[in-house]
Amino acid sequence: MAQNRGLRILIATVRVPFVNGGAEILAEGLRRELTEAGHRAEIVAIPFKWYPPERILDQMLACRLLDLSETVGVAVDRLIGLKFPAYLIPHPRKVLWLLHQHRQAYDLWQHPLNDLHQYATGAAVRAAIHRADTELIPQAKGVFTISNNVAARMSRHCGLQGTPLYHPPQDAGRFYTAPVEEFFYFPSRINALKRQDLVLEALAQTRLPVRVCFSGPANEGAFEGMCLTLAQKKSCADRVQWLGPVSEERKRDLYARSLGVLFPPVDEDYGYVTLEAMLARKPVITCSDSGGPLEFVVNRQTGLVCDPTPQSLAEAMDSLWEDRERARQWGDAGRQRYGDLRIEWDHVVEKLLA
Amino acid sequence: MKVLVVTSGVPFIRGGAEILADNLCQALSAAGHTAELIFIPFKHYPPNRIPDHMLACRLLDLTETCGVRIDRVIGLKFPGYLIPHPNKVVWLLHQHRTAYELWDHPMAGDLIHHPDGPVVRDAIRQADRELIPEAKAVYTLSENVSDRLRRFCGIAGEPLYNPPAHASLFYNNSAGDYLFFPSRVTGVKRQLLAIEALARCRERTLVRFAGEADSPKELAACVDAIRRLKVEDRVEWLGLISEEQKRELYANCLGVLFPPVDEDYGYITLEAMLSSKPVITCSDSGGPLEFVVGRQTGLVANPTPESLALVMDALWVDRRWAVAMGEAGRARYEDLNISWKNVVEKLLC
Repeated sequence: MAQNRGLRILIATVRVPFVNGGAEILAEGLRRELTEAGHRAEIVAIPFKWYPPERILDQMLACRLLDLSETVGVAVDRLIGLKFPAYLIPHPRKVLWLLHQHRQAYDLWQHPLNDLHQYATGAAVRAAIHRADTELIPQAKGVFTISNNVAARMSRHCGLQGTPLYHPPQDAGRFYTAPVEEFFYFPSRINALKRQDLVLEALAQTRLPVRVCFSGPANEGAFEGMCLTLAQKKSCADRVQWLGPVSEERKRDLYARSLGVLFPPVDEDYGYVTLEAMLARKPVITCSDSGGPLEFVVNRQTGLVCDPTPQSLAEAMDSLWEDRERARQWGDAGRQRYGDLRIEWDHVVEKLLA
Repeated sequence: MKVLVVTSGVPFIRGGAEILADNLCQALSAAGHTAELIFIPFKHYPPNRIPDHMLACRLLDLTETCGVRIDRVIGLKFPGYLIPHPNKVVWLLHQHRTAYELWDHPMAGDLIHHPDGPVVRDAIRQADRELIPEAKAVYTLSENVSDRLRRFCGIAGEPLYNPPAHASLFYNNSAGDYLFFPSRVTGVKRQLLAIEALARCRERTLVRFAGEADSPKELAACVDAIRRLKVEDRVEWLGLISEEQKRELYANCLGVLFPPVDEDYGYITLEAMLSSKPVITCSDSGGPLEFVVGRQTGLVANPTPESLALVMDALWVDRRWAVAMGEAGRARYEDLNISWKNVVEKLLC
């Protein structure tokens, strides 16, 4: 699209100081892709602190006060809003690509891992967030989300429509497959929402000598300790490999050699693990409440969707362990599906600038 | 320590302040601290947008992150330095200059031309007066910035000098047959003044100019002047050069020309001193005057072609004096303790 060459684009997001995660990688990935497409793109990252709840209101107002319409007299052609409350920054040519809303005010309200509802001001702040989102999100020229899961939550809670726009994991071109070895692979940060504990409980209930290799950094030391104790207690420690953080290269090697990939998180927004497994031609076992993965895993065609119980998960693991040929076919079908879904940065850039 | 460096600026524009902020973060990390940069976008027009951005900064909360205390906030530029924090230190690069000394400047003044200008100017001044003293300590980029802060706001700030990038790579080779003028080519750096002075020199003084022009217009103005004043054979116009070339040109020049208008700080003076070269500057150049000791480490002219021509000639005819002043400049640099180690120590104590 010739008229879109060389736009000046700002990516508006928030950052929690000293925390680097998926959102930062995504913002940087988008910036890089926009630059490679011939545009000038920069990230504007507003610091964010969500407690006590009143501070959220202050920061929403701060975002509304910023003016990114132009810089020294030259128009900013496009503002791409990613995270709350930075996506509230006003701009005449704004497009949203929502990573997620402020989940504590929506689907995680009264969730045990969230405390907003426990504050005296919690309900009022939640109402203010709902109102701001409902009134201000529609000001954007286009509303995209990183997944259907994020779009569905927004539709449910705010009555607003968003179009899912999928993007590839980092270094998507470098995933490959290799002959199958005797283990399932579970790569994820080690924390309660990813449910490594559920997998260990399931492992103790398998009929077959199923083995699982876990990798990923632990950002909650207590949870990791609990998992390791659990493995001992259930006497399945000899069938568990606990690698901790691994390099990207090693991760790709583990994907390639695994029999299948386990990814049973709680209501994931999107989930790169599913896509990486598909790129490595591996079937994915996930749960019916896992959110994002369910948009990609076709039950009994590219993987298995089980109930979030140890028993159901154990059955799924046993059935794939037993039938290697089916595992291989589903892995190939997953790779095929990845191609069909057009999960490409070019497509993302095109949509966000249309 | 967990340290946040807070600054403001205009998206897509990267200048000295942005480089300094990055260098500060690097120096903090090198000293074993965890440091990150917080960049708050700023748009200064129309004037009523300025109070909005000031308020936005006041509404942000950098006291902790995920329950962990942030030990120190270092504020650099307006309005970013207004962000509240119990352990804030301000290292003022400059205030919002058109609300202060550039208020009625014929070229730079902008607020003055707007009906809201005076109100906004007063709001900026009031915020600075009341909120800068919230910091545990106030440092500035230079005596020049301290002096403005004292004059306009009655606030004392201690100058805290930082070294130019790659300070240790500068060297001295020989006293060659040219004066070196490295700077962005733009009005306030006054390349035109140097060209006019060159036309009035009695000696066959040669000047090598290096640096990128801010705009084709600025470049054309210089090229025209060189032609009009018929000094083509005494000017070498190098344009953008590499850092390595720049250091070589410093190392082999007779002296350095640096006559800007009221510079906040000016790395060029320091680079010249590191290369053991005398500096020619002007009495209204600001920052350079904190470092150049007249007739000892360089020469201070009036900002006129005649006066500048006189000092250029004086240096040209007395090479031994030029060499001696260059060496004295190098000694002075050492005496001033201009190091990131010192900057980090002061900002964190």
